Amino acid sequence: MRRDKVLNWAGKIARFASGLSPHLKGELNFKIAATVSMMLLTAGGLFAQESPSPEGPEIYKKMSLTELMDLDVTSVAKQPEPYLQAPAAIQVITGDDIARSGASSLPEAMRLADNLEVAQKNSHDWAISARGFNTALANKLLVLMDGRSVYTPLFSGVFWDVQDYLLQDIDRVEVISGPGGTLWGANAVNGVINITTKNAKDTQGFYSEGGGGSQLQYFGGARYGGTLASNVYYRVYGKYFQRDDEVFADGTDAQDSWNMGRGGFRVDAEPSLQTKFTLQGDYYAGHEGITTGGRANVSGGNVLGRWSHVFSDSSDMSLQMYYDRTHLTDPIPASVVGPITLAPAGILTDDLDTFDIDFQHHFNLLDWNNIVWGLGYRFTHEVNQNAPALAFLPPTLDHNLFSGFVQDEIRLHDNVFLTLGTKVEHNDYTGIEVEPSARLQWNVTTNQTLWAAVSRAVRTPSRVDRDLSEPGPGAPLVLLQGNPNFQSETVIAYELGYRAQLTPKLETSLSAFYNDYNNIRSTTTNSVLDAFGLPFPFFFQNNLEGETHGFELTANYHLFDWWRLHGGYDLLKEDLRVKPGKSDINNALNETADPQQQFSIRSSMDLPRNIDFDTALRWVDTLHLNNGATVGTVPSYFELDARLAWRPIQDLELSVVGQNLLHDHHPEYGFPSPTRVEISRSVYGKISWQF
Amino acid sequence: MLIAFLVLLAPFSLRAQSKEYQIKAAFLYNFAQFVLWPETAFTNTDEPFRIGVLGDNPFGKALEEIVHGEKIQGRPIEIVESSSAEKMAGCQIVFVSKSQVPHFGDVSSKLDSKPVLTVSEDAGFIKRGGIINFYRDGTKVRFEINPDAADKKGLKLGSELLSLGKIVRPEAPK
Repeated sequence: MRRDKVLNWAGKIARFASGLSPHLKGELNFKIAATVSMMLLTAGGLFAQESPSPEGPEIYKKMSLTELMDLDVTSVAKQPEPYLQAPAAIQVITGDDIARSGASSLPEAMRLADNLEVAQKNSHDWAISARGFNTALANKLLVLMDGRSVYTPLFSGVFWDVQDYLLQDIDRVEVISGPGGTLWGANAVNGVINITTKNAKDTQGFYSEGGGGSQLQYFGGARYGGTLASNVYYRVYGKYFQRDDEVFADGTDAQDSWNMGRGGFRVDAEPSLQTKFTLQGDYYAGHEGITTGGRANVSGGNVLGRWSHVFSDSSDMSLQMYYDRTHLTDPIPASVVGPITLAPAGILTDDLDTFDIDFQHHFNLLDWNNIVWGLGYRFTHEVNQNAPALAFLPPTLDHNLFSGFVQDEIRLHDNVFLTLGTKVEHNDYTGIEVEPSARLQWNVTTNQTLWAAVSRAVRTPSRVDRDLSEPGPGAPLVLLQGNPNFQSETVIAYELGYRAQLTPKLETSLSAFYNDYNNIRSTTTNSVLDAFGLPFPFFFQNNLEGETHGFELTANYHLFDWWRLHGGYDLLKEDLRVKPGKSDINNALNETADPQQQFSIRSSMDLPRNIDFDTALRWVDTLHLNNGATVGTVPSYFELDARLAWRPIQDLELSVVGQNLLHDHHPEYGFPSPTRVEISRSVYGKISWQF
Repeated sequence: MLIAFLVLLAPFSLRAQSKEYQIKAAFLYNFAQFVLWPETAFTNTDEPFRIGVLGDNPFGKALEEIVHGEKIQGRPIEIVESSSAEKMAGCQIVFVSKSQVPHFGDVSSKLDSKPVLTVSEDAGFIKRGGIINFYRDGTKVRFEINPDAADKKGLKLGSELLSLGKIVRPEAPK
């Protein structure tokens, strides 16, 4: 996504400049960025709650009355609150959900979260956001994998193409729509995605999968898990795939095929019931075809360690450190204005090293305060080799981020909780940022929760906002520039939610929001014409403000033991405008390429003879995208995915998956043009085997 | 709550919150092994053994999972869920959810003299004529039994039940 974006964007500017259609969308797209981010330990660490011993109805039924009387109703380990009672707009995708969806990569699996907008832009790039602002370089969503932030300070968004794992070993994905700045820090403006892989203890033994098909041409993956010592578990895994080109509207190849290989390990040690250590690491490398020519190379790796200790039911702490490295080599086309070539084609590289350390402590005070606080530090070192047509200045940038947060959950009454907290961060671009929130939660019954929240979150500047030069400084004319005075974008969000297990078979949730944004990125020009009589350079400012509101509704219905239905519907209304007396060459159209409505219905059937049959229908409303002040659309569409799986013997599964079955190809993103990439129908077969 | 915010559990609430009810469901199934129903409890030999849940079902799917494929007194087991006491008429065990206990007088009259083992988890249940009541002792599940109420219904309680449960006799000689 990065490369196409950067490219498209450069191309659009060039076209604009040469008097063709003013296609500024790309640049605008480049939203600002936030820097920082978060920490927090994530799930796996402190609060992990794997059951220490087998339990459940199957075990209990075999027990005598005496044994039953000996069981503890509550688990010893700190018990996180049931999902039903979480005071936030959260949806949880389980590993099983992912397997049954037929998703072959992490970004595809994000379609399972109804509170996300997911648009595939080409073979290897996705636009993913929550509650709007799904521009080409969407930048208001924070994503963590096992506690490691995967956002890039280049544009404050996520390169979804390189976020993946052996999906079999994903434990769950928690998708929170709404601000999470108080806990997670800058960039968690409209949502947080927390991806958690399984504990190595739960992935013992050998697993392998392989297959191929029309778009996903071939793929394979394997994992082996074992023990290193008593209570020390490990796994190693690898995965590889090759994807074919998608197509343009006329059916010709978009030349965007890609392949990616990755591998990694995870070690989990539990020397005692109270103490856990995790050490994990991954490495990946891939090649991606770029529709405007050439291939991008991506690679990266990380290593993460986490120690957590439970002192008692009401007190625990964790310490996490990681190092992460990403590399990108991206072909950048020439910058051409009319008959003049401002800068020749070239190569942009981006190398980012991140070191991060986080500490968190949780304890109870006076029986009615549940307090969590933490400290974090992050150092990033980014080096660019600039292309003639696209540059970041300075080419080398070191940044420090210091953060601290405290949050107190106060029990006002038996089932009424007030949570107050704030994060305070210091970043090298804008200094101190404060992100407070207040949440009120009322557990009406054990099966019903009402909650309300007010939060502030910020998106701090990215390198695009501050350091961009397009083309680079060697060119006779710069078309678009970052702005050293670019400030943080802010939101104040008001939320109201209800979640209930209405009957044992029916679970539902409704989350409504009203978001008030300020200092959103605009693209502006000085009114003075330059030597060419043109209004260049354009540069970024914070000239937009506005509101969004809407709601997210979901329901899970267990029709029968063997048949589950899931439905989701989102409504989003956006009203962004240029601040009085200010300007934006895009008329405030560039930040909101979002469907006003979308819905999905999924069905999961467990049929006789070990057959699973799953279908997912989705409808996405029209997207309005801009080209400068001109609006274009991606038409609304229905699409259907289906999966049929059969286990002839235990541990062996054969499956056939069809994705986007309703059209030969359909666009999900992009301003209308002959080179907008459309997504093809895809069918693949898969065999998986474990022992 | 913060923890929930960060970690959130399993996708499905039932799992997380119902360990207590999984245990109670196992108790229910176990009780059946130590109670002898009179022949009049069944209208014919093919009739299944029915366990009723009156009112909100706090067990989720745990009860179904526990009785799945099992038999009681040679009969396959059927779970009946309803908030109507009439629907409980053919049941041999009826679990009365908390919300229904205040109306247990009415319920009782509808079940009338049928040989039904009534079970609940409300402090007032035995007083209102119930037979077995769950209560919590710290983190453990315990139960109290009123053998007089069982006698009235023609149920014979095994000695294991009587020795493990706390015997209460609200109608004992005054």
